[in-house]
Amino acid sequence: MTHIQLEAIHKSYGQTQVLNDCTLEIARGEVMTLLGPSGCGKTTLLRTLAGFVRQDHGRVVVGGAEISHLAPNRRSVGYVFQNYALFPHLSVAENVAYGLKVRRRPAGEIRERVAKALHLVALDGLGARFPAQLSGGQQQRVAIARVLVLEPEVLLLDEPFNALDAKLRLTMQVELRKLIDRVGITSIFVTHDQSEAMMLSDKVAVMRAGRIEQVAAPLAIYDRPVNDYVASFIGRANVLSVEVRGGVVASAPEVVANRADGPARLIVRPENLAIAGADACWSGRILFASAQGPSIEYEVEAGLPEPLRLVVPRQAGEAALPAGAAVGVRIVDPGACIVIGGGSGV
Amino acid sequence: MHPVVRRVLHGGGFWPALPAVAFLVVFLVLPMLTLLAFGFVTIERGRIVGDTFTLQHLHSALGDQLIWRLAWRSFYVAVISTVLALVLAYPVAYLFSQTSGIWRTLILIAVISPLLTSALVRTYAWLVILGGRRGLLNQTLLQLGLIDQPLRLLNTDWAVIIGMTQIHLPFMILPLLAVLSGRDRRLEEAARNLGAGRVRTFFTVVVPMSVPAIFAGLALVFAVSYTNFIVPQLLGGGSYSTLAVQVYEQTVVVLDWTRGAVLATILLTSCFVFVYLIVAGGSRLSRWSEIRT
Ligand SMILES: Nc1ncnc2c1ncn2[C@@H]1O[C@H](COP(=O)(O)OP(=O)(O)O)[C@@H](O)[C@H]1O
Ligand SMILES: [Mg+2]
Repeated sequence: MTHIQLEAIHKSYGQTQVLNDCTLEIARGEVMTLLGPSGCGKTTLLRTLAGFVRQDHGRVVVGGAEISHLAPNRRSVGYVFQNYALFPHLSVAENVAYGLKVRRRPAGEIRERVAKALHLVALDGLGARFPAQLSGGQQQRVAIARVLVLEPEVLLLDEPFNALDAKLRLTMQVELRKLIDRVGITSIFVTHDQSEAMMLSDKVAVMRAGRIEQVAAPLAIYDRPVNDYVASFIGRANVLSVEVRGGVVASAPEVVANRADGPARLIVRPENLAIAGADACWSGRILFASAQGPSIEYEVEAGLPEPLRLVVPRQAGEAALPAGAAVGVRIVDPGACIVIGGGSGV
Repeated sequence: MHPVVRRVLHGGGFWPALPAVAFLVVFLVLPMLTLLAFGFVTIERGRIVGDTFTLQHLHSALGDQLIWRLAWRSFYVAVISTVLALVLAYPVAYLFSQTSGIWRTLILIAVISPLLTSALVRTYAWLVILGGRRGLLNQTLLQLGLIDQPLRLLNTDWAVIIGMTQIHLPFMILPLLAVLSGRDRRLEEAARNLGAGRVRTFFTVVVPMSVPAIFAGLALVFAVSYTNFIVPQLLGGGSYSTLAVQVYEQTVVVLDWTRGAVLATILLTSCFVFVYLIVAGGSRLSRWSEIRT
């Protein structure tokens, strides 16, 4: 069941178009991630949902009702800011109680719900501290407790892990996903980190320069990227300029292309290439090799604008081929290759 | 290089403050201590008679009902004027922080330009506005038919309070301006997101965050109002006096340096106490801003 609909959202600041025809549907209880490079409009789209930004065109619908005209304080949308935006002059408990006080709940109920919310994010006993006395991870949990205590319909999080160091980040990601599943709240994340998107979300919306390029489950995006931009953003990809002739790719005839003859682009994941002998599609020399336990990475110079990248499984005791060695490269699973239109490769 | 020379060049310790401190000691602290010391000796015909320190002059000043009345007037005039300045300054500083471009520049010029004219000139301007039957204000009110009799404005507490408030307003606006324009707007968005309306957000987030600036302004404006003697003299009229006016009159007009020095001691000491109380109150209210871990 659709819970949130963003319909054809446009937003410009002066001459700069920041959001261009953004349409997105999110099911109830789903975790959606907005993924894209810095400056592509993720935060602006999230702020449109929260009401901090008023779109030029388009509709924001939550639970079947349009909320575009509502002030931020009239929307049941919890927002976790990039740097948490905790009130520095209020204690942790007062921060969490803020929204309940605004709603004029009785003092006893506030105390109870604040304690429950702090327990939910494992911050029991820290209510009397001030935000400046907490670690980054604890501050993040206060920010989440502060909005969840109000039981909003939707949870929005803008790069919630950015301020955390790498080690803590992984733990917090797992914890947050578990928390969201426990509460069962429809959530939208913003991140520029693809592994975070893969790990946290039911669906990923890949954005580029104010547009949504593709919306799908993380693995579907990885396996079936709609274009080379998405392919390179989610995981790594070789994007090759090729010719389609007679329904197949000329340089790799085992790859079937359901499109008219002419120039096209072939997208091949590094793990879908292997070192080959006689049946090679390309031949060249190894530029660089690095063995990494379970796999070996190669870069092969094969007369293409960019070297081919390969990731091949490594057997116990196997060493990488030396740089400079002449090798052939073949496609492992032609069915997993993607051929899209447009002549010039990336 | 000698370690001291190196530290001076690197700006370590208190060395960078040395020139300013030396200047202030020679040209402010020493003359002031000399002046204050006059209150604790007896002077006759320009000479110190007897060589003993005496509290007699201070004692007699503190026993004088008139001095207490003047001190009380200095105090309440300064308090009312300071509170009034805050009430007037806050909206201006807030407006400044919410605008951009040409409006911002215009507000800044409007705030700063009074500082470029002398306080004396501005006080005379108030004489013209408030003064007697023909004052600008009475003329206007009479012509508008709002009053039948001209109001007695000049030579009252209110004339002094209004004049002081206007003259000291920039001292209140400037610290507020700095803090309000540099504030973190996301805190207000967070409050809105949690359900607070604009007014509630203003009073629960914007105002508490500006408490340090509010109290800096209060301390500054109180100190200059409490010790101002020009405005009470001009707008309060000949028979109007405050503690600061007395210091001036005893020292410059009556030439009773002993009396002037004693009153100056009382004025300064009480001023320090009040300013200390304001600053202490401010840091109590903003203890959160000093938390570091
Ligand atoms: N208030 C604003 N005024 C002008 N430009 C803005 C404003 N907010 C965002 N932008 C511009 O919009 C673009 C997208 O910003 P943002 O949504 O923050 O990107 P992201 O979160 O994906 O990094 C950026 O180029 C940014 O400079
Ligand atoms: Mg952003």
